[in-house]
Amino acid sequence: MDLTYTPEQQAFRAEVRAWMEAHVPKEPLLTLEGRAGFDAHVEWERTLAGGNWGMVTWPEAYGGRGLDLIRWLIFEEEYYRAGAPLRANQNGIFLLGPTVMEFGTDEQKARFLTPMAKGEIMWAQAWSEPNAGSDMAAIRSRAVRDGDDYVISGQKTWSSRAAFADWCFGLFRTDPESRRHKGLSFILVPLDAPGVTIRPIRQLHGETGFAEIFFDEVRVPAANRIAGEGEGWNVAMATAGFERGLMLRSPARFQAAAKRLVDLYRAHQRDAAPSAREAVIKAWAEAEAYALNTYKVASTVMAGGKIGAEASLNKIFWSELDRALHRTAMSLLGAAAELKEVGGRVNQWLEGYIFSLSGPIYAGSNEIQRNIIAERLLGLPRLGAG
Amino acid sequence: MNFAFTDEQIELRDGVRAYLEGTHGAEVLRRLDTEGGRDPVIWRGLVEMGLTALIVPEAQGGLGLGLIEAALVAVELGRADVSEPVADSALVAPRLIADEAQLAAIAAGELKVALAHPVNPWVADADQAGLVLGGSATGERLESADPLRRLFAVARAEADARMLDHAALIAAAQLVGAGERMLTLATDYAKDREQFGQAIGGFQAIKHHLASVAVALEFARPALWRAAYALENGHERAGVHVSHAKLAATDAAVQAAETAIQVHGAMGYTYEVDLHYWMKRAWALAGAWGDRAFHLRRLDDAVIGGAMAIGPDQSFETGMTHG
Repeated sequence: MDLTYTPEQQAFRAEVRAWMEAHVPKEPLLTLEGRAGFDAHVEWERTLAGGNWGMVTWPEAYGGRGLDLIRWLIFEEEYYRAGAPLRANQNGIFLLGPTVMEFGTDEQKARFLTPMAKGEIMWAQAWSEPNAGSDMAAIRSRAVRDGDDYVISGQKTWSSRAAFADWCFGLFRTDPESRRHKGLSFILVPLDAPGVTIRPIRQLHGETGFAEIFFDEVRVPAANRIAGEGEGWNVAMATAGFERGLMLRSPARFQAAAKRLVDLYRAHQRDAAPSAREAVIKAWAEAEAYALNTYKVASTVMAGGKIGAEASLNKIFWSELDRALHRTAMSLLGAAAELKEVGGRVNQWLEGYIFSLSGPIYAGSNEIQRNIIAERLLGLPRLGAG
Repeated sequence: MNFAFTDEQIELRDGVRAYLEGTHGAEVLRRLDTEGGRDPVIWRGLVEMGLTALIVPEAQGGLGLGLIEAALVAVELGRADVSEPVADSALVAPRLIADEAQLAAIAAGELKVALAHPVNPWVADADQAGLVLGGSATGERLESADPLRRLFAVARAEADARMLDHAALIAAAQLVGAGERMLTLATDYAKDREQFGQAIGGFQAIKHHLASVAVALEFARPALWRAAYALENGHERAGVHVSHAKLAATDAAVQAAETAIQVHGAMGYTYEVDLHYWMKRAWALAGAWGDRAFHLRRLDDAVIGGAMAIGPDQSFETGMTHG
């Protein structure tokens, strides 16, 4: 255990800091969940790519810098320290990217990773269906093989960013006789293909951050399939592991939010409930604990270890700390909490609180995560086995 | 930057765990409960394992190891509910003592050291101690809820900030170990106990309670390792990190205890089920060496009071100027 940065890591931090200070927009962008805000965030992705910061851990051949996970954490710390915008392409760079890196062919890596790192193609997820939410193995959307193509029919829902994105990735049933986890394949689909219809869904905040996707005999080449036919479930589980585990919610985001919460508390100290003080300290402590654990996981992965069901511990912790942190902020704002603008600026705490309510639901609800922990880490009997 | 244990540290932890699983099971706790709580044979075994020599410098016959190792061992002491004064005497005291002869005697297991501090209304194991650091005890015995604790009234105690940080770190480590053990006890019970025709561990209500304990423990541990590292290396913020670790470990262990008794149902409310030994140790350590309020105040001064820089780049000493 060596919890000090090397001079090279320090120099890297200084390099990121200088670049961020010169390039991060001075004013916060509009919300990522609406059209105008999304476009502004895509513009930021391209600015990042211009500095070669699209995805620092990826090999140089695919638009990255080939850096290790400790440097990725340093990058993220400086990114959120500078107040840089959320990543419009988080579905791509944090979820699909690592999946393609692990399961894709060389041709697929070149085709999909480079434009992802450069901010050229934005990605949406296509997992859930109306009758396959927490129970994802109940997926019915099918992809029928026809020569070198698949013909896709069915419906996906809660597809994050589908209203604005260029492509989606998801699971489709390629074996019509199959049931549950078997017979599924992981396929990438351009959202402008004939037969694709997108119906945006207004979310809690009123914006259309996710959508339904209808597939009516949509033809895509079989080369868009990641890994073998029928192996989709394992690929998707790996993707979910990236989502819950290491990358999607970098701790720096919560540490930056906790720092802002401390500032908010100081400004409202006189009127704050006594309980708010402990909640503020707890938010800081939990963001720290999450950061420390991420360094631990990164160190384990760098030493050749894998992230298994432990990712579920992680997902519960960051999603619940985020909700508690924003709930505390809302309580500090008191009667002003409901206002969409405070002092002429967007009420970021309200937006953040609304978004934090989705955390315990997406990426597998926290109830599902607790089942996974109980069954795979603690060895309790499987659901339905009793 | 590497937040992983060395192979030697893992070997040490596994060795101590295996030894205590083999020699210090629940039947030993029950025996000690009826025999006054201390046993020279157990002490001798811990000495022979090298635990009293662990952090004593090599020049005084010790192993010369550090606080990461001390905390790793303390987790195992908590997991096994070891009640011999090895934590105070061998994992805390050596860092507070300069006298070479005393250090050598600690390493050899011949000198037991007790710790007095005004934050505690007792001195533990003062009767067998050849040396009481920080003050002195009277001969008056105080009864603890924990039947294996041996506490004595304070005669005199001085505030020693270093003692507090070192002892709070080791208490936090024991709390993590006790919490882990209680999670295991409750999980094992839930796998075994059948109601409505199945193991109760198959019910989501039980699963979700236990999973929440696993989450709390998972995120207490890294706070403990950062605190141990910072204290070992004399970092300016070490005390704050210790307070974070103690608070997180306390909350996780108390949650583990309350969940474990609930999962055991009425059996958990009996003296016959072993769970109570760890639960009472958790209550004791939760208040010892700075209770929640004490450590919360220290975090408050640092975080809200502004005594410490916070933010995404501040988890470790970075050596950069704070902007």
